[in-house]
Amino acid sequence: MNTSTAASGHSSTHGLAGRYLTFSLGRDSYGVPVLNVREIIRLCPITPVPRMPAYVKGVINLRGTVIAVLDLRAKFEMPTVATGDRNCIIVVQIQGAGGGNTLMGAIVDAVDEVVNLAAGDIEPTPDFGGSPDIQYMLGVATIRGGVKTLLNIEKIFQEDGSLVLAPVSKPASSIEA
Amino acid sequence: MSSSLGESWAAENIESAVSLISQMAEELAFVVPDRDSGLLAINALTMDLEQLAESDAPTAFVAGVKVLRVWIDAILDGPVSFSADMIEKLGNWHGWMSSLLVALDQDVATPALPADWSALLSGAQEAPATASKGSPSAELAPVAQPEETEPAASFVLDIDSDQELLREFFSESLELLQDIEQGVLVLEEKPGDKNTINSIFRAFHTFKGGAGFLHLAALGELAHELETLLDAVRKGELSINREIIESILAGGDALKLFTREIGDQLDGINPGAPISVPTQHILKRVRAALRGEAPAPAYSAAVAVAKAAEPVPPAVVAEVPAAAPAPVLAPDPVVPVAAPVSVVAAPLAVAQPVSIPQPQLVQVPVAKPAAPAVAAAESAGAAESPAKASREGGGSTGGFVKLDTEKLDSLVNLVGELVIAQSMVVQNPDVQSINSLQLLRCLRQLSRVTTELQRNAMSLRMVPIRNLFQKMGRLVRDLGVSQNKQVQLVLEGEDTELDRNIVEKMGDPLIHMIRNSVDHGLEGPDERVANGKPAVGTVRLSASHQRGGIVIRIQDDGRGLNTDRILAKAVERGLVRPNAGLSESEIHALIFLPGFSTAEAITDLSGRGVGMDVVLGNIESLRGKVEIESVFGKGTTFTILLPLTLAIIDGLLVAVGEDRYIIPTLSVRESFRLRPGMVSTVHERGEMVTVRGKQTPLLRLGRFLGATSKTTQAEDGIIVVVESGDTARGLLVDELIGKQEVVIKSLGPAFEHQNLAAGGAVLGDGWVALILDVDTLVKLPIENRSSVIHSQTGTHS
Repeated sequence: MNTSTAASGHSSTHGLAGRYLTFSLGRDSYGVPVLNVREIIRLCPITPVPRMPAYVKGVINLRGTVIAVLDLRAKFEMPTVATGDRNCIIVVQIQGAGGGNTLMGAIVDAVDEVVNLAAGDIEPTPDFGGSPDIQYMLGVATIRGGVKTLLNIEKIFQEDGSLVLAPVSKPASSIEA
Repeated sequence: MSSSLGESWAAENIESAVSLISQMAEELAFVVPDRDSGLLAINALTMDLEQLAESDAPTAFVAGVKVLRVWIDAILDGPVSFSADMIEKLGNWHGWMSSLLVALDQDVATPALPADWSALLSGAQEAPATASKGSPSAELAPVAQPEETEPAASFVLDIDSDQELLREFFSESLELLQDIEQGVLVLEEKPGDKNTINSIFRAFHTFKGGAGFLHLAALGELAHELETLLDAVRKGELSINREIIESILAGGDALKLFTREIGDQLDGINPGAPISVPTQHILKRVRAALRGEAPAPAYSAAVAVAKAAEPVPPAVVAEVPAAAPAPVLAPDPVVPVAAPVSVVAAPLAVAQPVSIPQPQLVQVPVAKPAAPAVAAAESAGAAESPAKASREGGGSTGGFVKLDTEKLDSLVNLVGELVIAQSMVVQNPDVQSINSLQLLRCLRQLSRVTTELQRNAMSLRMVPIRNLFQKMGRLVRDLGVSQNKQVQLVLEGEDTELDRNIVEKMGDPLIHMIRNSVDHGLEGPDERVANGKPAVGTVRLSASHQRGGIVIRIQDDGRGLNTDRILAKAVERGLVRPNAGLSESEIHALIFLPGFSTAEAITDLSGRGVGMDVVLGNIESLRGKVEIESVFGKGTTFTILLPLTLAIIDGLLVAVGEDRYIIPTLSVRESFRLRPGMVSTVHERGEMVTVRGKQTPLLRLGRFLGATSKTTQAEDGIIVVVESGDTARGLLVDELIGKQEVVIKSLGPAFEHQNLAAGGAVLGDGWVALILDVDTLVKLPIENRSSVIHSQTGTHS
């Protein structure tokens, strides 16, 4: 019953154990805390906002509210691919600089499942020789033989530039192969 | 976590809880057995509720949220889908929580947590905290203490009905009393004004009716006597004199004190405490006036002016005519003294030199069984009563319904959604492929009705500015008295309508500016006469429609802004360099700088450290601006320009390549199709287009925005001439699609660093169009060419 403690607190200081929504970008698999996720919607037409960084896809109408949509592939400087049926927008709630909460959408290749991770499933982010972008990762989880990078989605959305994530997923692809 | 420190929960907390719960209801409506759709959304809402529960929530609320968490956890840990049983439980939970919030909002006993739910909690690790002392909701919180065993539903309902009536009476009375006060101020000017006398009479009459329904006998009696007095005046049996006016004011103030006390008790301050208002002496006074015993001379404007010169302590206007053995209490309506009635005894004693019979205290318990209905038809919507005071007496008053503003907002939003849904249906290709005249006719009818509905819904938000203006009447009166200045306030255009939210937010800035005008602008009577001006100063407050916006003007005939002194002060404060060479209007604008004040003496009303910078900030937050015009020695005029509404703008929808943009119509001067030879390239200054013989810089919007514009030749496109301030620019777009009203939506923090789009708007087909910030476009350097812009660095790097 004590799982509620994990859910009600803020993601930063509490232990990492808890529920994660997993999704994929290319061959890599990622997880974001369910805490941050508001809903998942299908990819819909996006109004581009001119003169914004490439990863800012634009804005969409989410039942009357206008929300910004980022392309996580572009954000992580991954090659762009044609979008298909499996593409989704994960709507996450993040804390704005002013303290209020805002909704933002993240385009991902596909949403997989909600997994419950125990503390033992999660390892701290490996040190890749001082890569500055490690702070955007909460840790690495191994579930059912696959490796998932757990992302600090708030930090990622608050960062203005694009990011290069450390290649934690390499061992995963070798296991899967 | 659940320490309910306060007596009840803060209103804004309840409000956010209600909003979360209604979102929850929306999600629950779409939940299907054995599916997980909506689970994450419900989980997220649960988290929000948990967060809310941490802010001193009542125990019952905390317990309820914990129950919900137990269930959601069970779902997430188990099947990750909803069972039919669980859906029903969640539905029940929603119902229970809704009634809990209603109970909290109205400060009545909260419904009990069902036993099987409490069982869930006792099984949980965290036992619910026991109730803290003194909190009504905590005492009744079922998990904490079963001693209050009254069945929840009937309990709530019973008090509920009374509460509603009292609330209605309370807000209605506030309006009536304001009408009365306003009427009296008019009577001072025009003692014979039939309409005003009628409206005061009607106000007392309505008040009496309301008090009667609620068995508030003492109030009814007082209102009745005042009504009788007014009736006599109405029939010409008495003529208005000073004593009658003072009696009405005194009576109104006594009624106001009582009404405030009801309001306080409704808000949970000392509920159930007996309310006492000294009415006896006022009654006597009114009756004396009715018998024509008051020896005061015929009342005229001249007397009012002379009277204003008497030194009087601030805030309490205590004019005690010799023959009238009672004081007049006039608490400042602008800074309400939330005075429980007992406090009032003090000024009574002070202000009262003549010995009078001990005021008889009338005790009225607030909670009383009441008649089932109050005829509220006479009253109008809360702060927005339309032209009631000036309406002709006797006739039908049209009838108004009070409305919760939240309901109104949600109605307006829903209508917006409806319009979008309607055009989605009409534009659906499948529907369009149906070849049926019948269907076409139906769709047309649907379009017509939705458009009409939208127009109506939008107009609901618009309220006349009258109420706000009328508050200023009393303010100016009190200011004049406290400062020994003779001031008349002239109101114009009180029927001008604007968005309710704007009216609400303009209150403080207006009060401040009027105070400034009276405090700093107007001279004392002697100085005025010495300068060849009439002794009575005039402050003119006007509102009007202008170019799709609202203009509010505050004009005084005082001494005007002293540019030398302002400049000296600004230099002294280090705000400008001594040799800055500012123009007159630039110097005037200095008074809006933070920390600027030239007042020689700090009065009790202005000069409290809140400066014109705050006023400007308030107005700018409403997307408005302020202009100053001042002639030294002659007076100052502040002109406030405001949008009609915060939520909606008139927009010109244009196509640029594949995209559509909205240009606010307010900024559009004209638009036309280009003819050959209109565009010329000026060396090193980019392209120019000739508009009415004037060379105006041209901006190819498609190229600038990085869109693949269809218009390669300028001659194929359309020029939209926009302006901001004195600068104009021609925007080249591909096509004009149309003109429409759009609801402005914020783009959120992701776009707060850019200044190209002022917001977004959802179009008829559900697509979001960006609203261009004309100010940015106009101020772009002329040399700004597409090659520079195509890089994708964004504007915030």
